[in-house]
Formats: sequence, C-alpha cells, structure tokens
Amino acid sequence: MSITKQMMAALAITGSLISTAVLADTVKIGMNVPLTGFAAADGKSALLGAELAIEQANAEGGINGTQIELIQYDDLASPKEAVPIANRLISQDEVVVAISGSYSGSTRAAAGIFQSEGVPYVSAYAVHPDITKSGDYVFRTSFVGEVQGRAGAKLIGEMLGKKRVVVITLQNDFGQSLAAGFKEKAADYGIEIISEYEYSIKDRQFGPIVTKVKADQPDAIYASGYFFTAGPLVNQLRSAGIDVPVIGQEGYDSDKFIEIAGPTSEGVLITTSLDRDSTVAETQEFIKAFEKKAGYNADMVAASGHTAAKVVIEAMRKAGTTDRAAIRDAIAQTNLVASTGTISFNGLGEVKKDVQIQIVKDGAWHHFAVIDDKDLLAPPEE
Amino acid sequence: MLYVELLAQGLVQGSIYALVAVGLTLVYGLLRILHVAHAGLFTLGGYVGVLVTNATGSLLLALLVAMVTVGIVGMAIYRLCYQPILDKPPYVALIASIGLFIAMEEIYRLVFGPYGISFENPPLQDVVQMFGVTLRLGEVATAAGTLLLVGALAVFSGKTRFGTAWRATVTDPAMAESFGIDIIKVRYLNFFIGSAFAASAGVMVALLNNMVEPTMGSVPSYKALAIIVLRGLGDVRGTLVAALALGVIEAFGTIYLGKFLDRDAIAFAFLILVLMVRPQGLFGRA
Repeated sequence: MSITKQMMAALAITGSLISTAVLADTVKIGMNVPLTGFAAADGKSALLGAELAIEQANAEGGINGTQIELIQYDDLASPKEAVPIANRLISQDEVVVAISGSYSGSTRAAAGIFQSEGVPYVSAYAVHPDITKSGDYVFRTSFVGEVQGRAGAKLIGEMLGKKRVVVITLQNDFGQSLAAGFKEKAADYGIEIISEYEYSIKDRQFGPIVTKVKADQPDAIYASGYFFTAGPLVNQLRSAGIDVPVIGQEGYDSDKFIEIAGPTSEGVLITTSLDRDSTVAETQEFIKAFEKKAGYNADMVAASGHTAAKVVIEAMRKAGTTDRAAIRDAIAQTNLVASTGTISFNGLGEVKKDVQIQIVKDGAWHHFAVIDDKDLLAPPEE
Repeated sequence: MLYVELLAQGLVQGSIYALVAVGLTLVYGLLRILHVAHAGLFTLGGYVGVLVTNATGSLLLALLVAMVTVGIVGMAIYRLCYQPILDKPPYVALIASIGLFIAMEEIYRLVFGPYGISFENPPLQDVVQMFGVTLRLGEVATAAGTLLLVGALAVFSGKTRFGTAWRATVTDPAMAESFGIDIIKVRYLNFFIGSAFAASAGVMVALLNNMVEPTMGSVPSYKALAIIVLRGLGDVRGTLVAALALGVIEAFGTIYLGKFLDRDAIAFAFLILVLMVRPQGLFGRA
C-alpha cells in the first residue's frame, strides 16, 4: 500500500469517527406541530416556545454536556399526518423523547404509537382525556378540559356570584370537555344553566346565537372557543348590547383575541395556565425571552410548548442516560417550576397545577385570581 | 321579535352567500367549470380590504381597490389556469381549481402570517334600530351592498349591449361567436365581475368578524357550490333567492336544531331535501 493510500485510509477513518462523534453528540427531541392549515397560528407559538426551552438548556450545557436537537414535523393538526410522523421520529430520527405541540386529534393518534414503542411523549396543550390513557409513557402538561370547566363553574358561581348562565359550546373535544366539566360542578355553585348553544369551529358569524342569548337575558355567559372564534363572538355579543360577564378558557389566551374583539374584549375573564403578572422569576423570564425571540407577546400555547420541552429536558438531565424507561420514570417524578406554574404529574400522567384567571384590562391580559382548590382541580386518575 | 331578528340575521348571512355564489354561477354558466378557487379570491378580497382600510382609513376606497385587484386576479386565473385546459374533460379543471384553492390558502398564510389580520379601527360598528330589529351598521351595509351589486348586475346583463352579448354567449357560445361576439372578451369580463363580487363579500365578512384569516374561504367554497346547485345550475335570478333562503334556514336551524346538526349540516340537509323533491333545483325547469 502506498503512503498516499495509507494516508487516505487514515483520513477516511478519522473522518468517519469525527462524523459519528458529531452525530452522537446531540440528544434528539421529536415534535409534531401544526405549521400549516387552520391550527398553524397555535403551532407557531408552540414551536417557538419549545425552541426557546431548548436554546436555554443548550446555553446551560444541554443534557449534562450534550447538546439538544429538536426535530419537528408539520402535522397539520391531522391524525392521519401524525401517525407517519410519529413512526418517522422513532425509527428514522431515533428521538429519545417527543413532545406534541398540536391539537387533540393528532396528539391522540401519535400517543398510541409512542406508547407502543416505549418513547416518552409529553403533550403541551392538547386536551382530550384519551391522550394520557394511551399508557404510562404519555404525559400532559396542560389541564384536561373537564378541570378547566370545573374552575369556570367556581369562577362564575362562587367568585362572581352569577347564577343564570348561558353556555355556548364549541363542537369539538375541547369545547365539549369544557362544557362537561362546567356542568358537572355548576349545581354545586348554585348555577342554573338557562340555555345551551353549539357552534362549529368554522363559524365566525354568530348572529342567530347572539340574538337568542339577548332574549335569554343571562347573568353570565360561559363560552368555549379559540381566539379566532371567541374574538368575533365576544365582539358580536357586545355589539348587540349584551354586557354581562363572558367567561372563556385558555383557547382565548392570545393577544390576537384582544386585537380581534377590540375594545369589546375589556372585562372578559378566562381560565388558563399563564399568569402575565406572575412574580415567579421563571415565568417573568419566559415572558421576556419569548417576546425577544418571537417578536410578539407570549401566550398560553407558547408557555405550554416551553413547559413541555422543559419537562423532558429536566427528566433527561435527572435520568443521566438516554434510556427511555429511565427518562419515563424521571418524567413521572417531575417537580418543576415552569412558566405555567409548578408542575407535577398524577399516576395517569395528568398535570397537577393551579388554574390562573386572567382578565382583559386596558387592552392586555392581566392577573385576576388564582384557583388552587386541589379537590376541585384533581385531574382524572384513570 | 326574536323571529324577526333571526330573520334579519339570516338575510345578512344570505347576502354574503349570494355575492360569492353569483361569481360561481357566472363561471359555471359560461364555461361549465366548478370554480372552487373562487373562495380563495373571496379571502384575498378580505385581505386587500383590511390592508387598504388600515393604510388609508377609507373603507369605501378599500372596497373598490379590493374589487378591482381581485377582479384582475380572477382574470389571470382564467388565463393561466383554466384557458389552457378548456378542451380537457370538466374534472381536469375541477382538480386544477381545488389545487389552486389549497395553494392560495397557504400563500396567504406565508405572506400575511397564520394569525390573520384585523382592522385597526373597525368601521361601521355602531348599532342601529330598524323596525324594532337591532343591527350593526356593518350588517346593514352588507345587505344593502348586496342588493345594490346584484341589482346593478341585473341591469347590466339585461339592459346593455354587452349584457346581451354575454347572455347570448352563455346560451350558445358557437352561435354567439358566429354573430361576431368576442367570446374571449366575454369570458374575461365574466371572471372580472364574478371575482369582484367575491372580493366585496370578503370585505364585508372582514367587517362583520373583524378578522381575515388564510382559511376564511373554506366554508364559502362548498356552501356556494350548494347554492348554485339549489338554484338549478344555469341562470342568475334565483341565486339571490336561494342564497337568502339558505341564510335564513341556517339562522333558525342554528338555534332550534343546533343540538343535533351544525350549521353546515343544516345547509346540506336542506340541499338534499330540495334535490329529492325537485332534482332540477329550486328554479330549474324539469
């Protein structure tokens, strides 16, 4: 063998060693997130939130010295996209853990696959109860709809003292689970539900419902929805001269809601996970860092994406290995101060944390109250 | 009083359906193409309307700019998308149209962002009392604008030479051409007017919701198709009636059937019912 050939061979070997070393030098977190389609706005916030958590962790030395890499795919919030994405993340990208920055349909579909392959999977803000029922590798950092619905009942019946309530429900798993939780506890707080209406996620014009609600003359309105349905709804309710309190949930939780509803958003109350006026350093830092990174104000989805990523990063640090079973156990033991509160999980993988009540005041979301009633907020155990 | 208010809400909603459906009717009548991308032009109208209003403060100017711009884009769609495939079977154009519609939604998302845009100072938000019915000025303007536009179209197609040429081309293109009518010019005009109408509907919906989002066209896309089927594929007069009827049925249905059927299901149940009784459509001849 000539010297040149020997040198070439040596170079090739070194080269391959270096590239292997580089590849092995990152820990991969997978993420399915809607970046196109109707849920793209929430997807963007969730992704930026998760990216922020990873950048912050990498700046502190990653996982015990190893840098973290986020591998994300656009799932269009669609179950049929989420299934191949989950398979690709597991077999092709070989991610150690995964998070969902998506809605319930796709998260639920992906959860079963991550569970059967033994890959820990944390849902950032999808609400469907079946997600965590997929098994012991699946966790959720947001409230199930029922828990938030119960908090809504306490807010209206006890804290605001309003008794005659109209319920306007978004016809999807999010709206229906909120309504179920609300109705479950309504009677306990002396609430009488005088009528109920449903609308589809595509609706933006609520003329007929608004007209009927006006005739109902309620003391308060419990309306589920996202900022893009709730913005027009609140605007149309107020324009029709209905000035009773409107109580929403984390789906409203975006500056976009205030922009769409304009001045009519003043006084709207929501149950959510992010307290803008929080004095907790972690939350304040998140709000500042997110605004700097994203160029717009943090919302609940962004904070939830950040929280989910932070939960898996902390668990990997504690486990000190890329063994997925050990990481799963570490996630189950989580006790972490995150931007959405102090996070721990119950046996089913459901989050235990306080519910934040925010109000629109002077064109921005502000602190109104906190509900920390452990019995009321107990997530489902099975 | 509740019934009268519901009726008024239904008529406002129906006006918007009418404006979108008229454009589809025109295209279908002339070229036998189901122009799904029409709903994408409706969305574009909303975007132009909000952007121009925010820049100039004038809603009327924004409406005009939206109608002219979108009208021109409509003509471009005919020239670039449909004209090259006119000799292919109808489903080719339909598939092209659906593809174009999806592409338009994603282009809006890339250009204008996923969150949608709103008016900085939403115009026409004041409330008026008319005949005991409470309506926002925007809703009154929507209904009045629709009547004005559809009325103008009726006069144009019925009383002017160009309108006569147009109707002749719709009835029998070959015969019309042999009489010296420039049928290419008629097609461009057709797309311009239809698209401008869709744009006006987009501006009005932007006004009523104070929001324009990339997927805003998804509901009108299929509902307008339902309306042109209802009307009996082929003439203009019934579109207004069919659209208004659908709006009113939805308004009452949302309140009294909302527990079992959502708004869209109500619309399509109505469509199926009509087609069962009158397969030729509400106003078609057997």
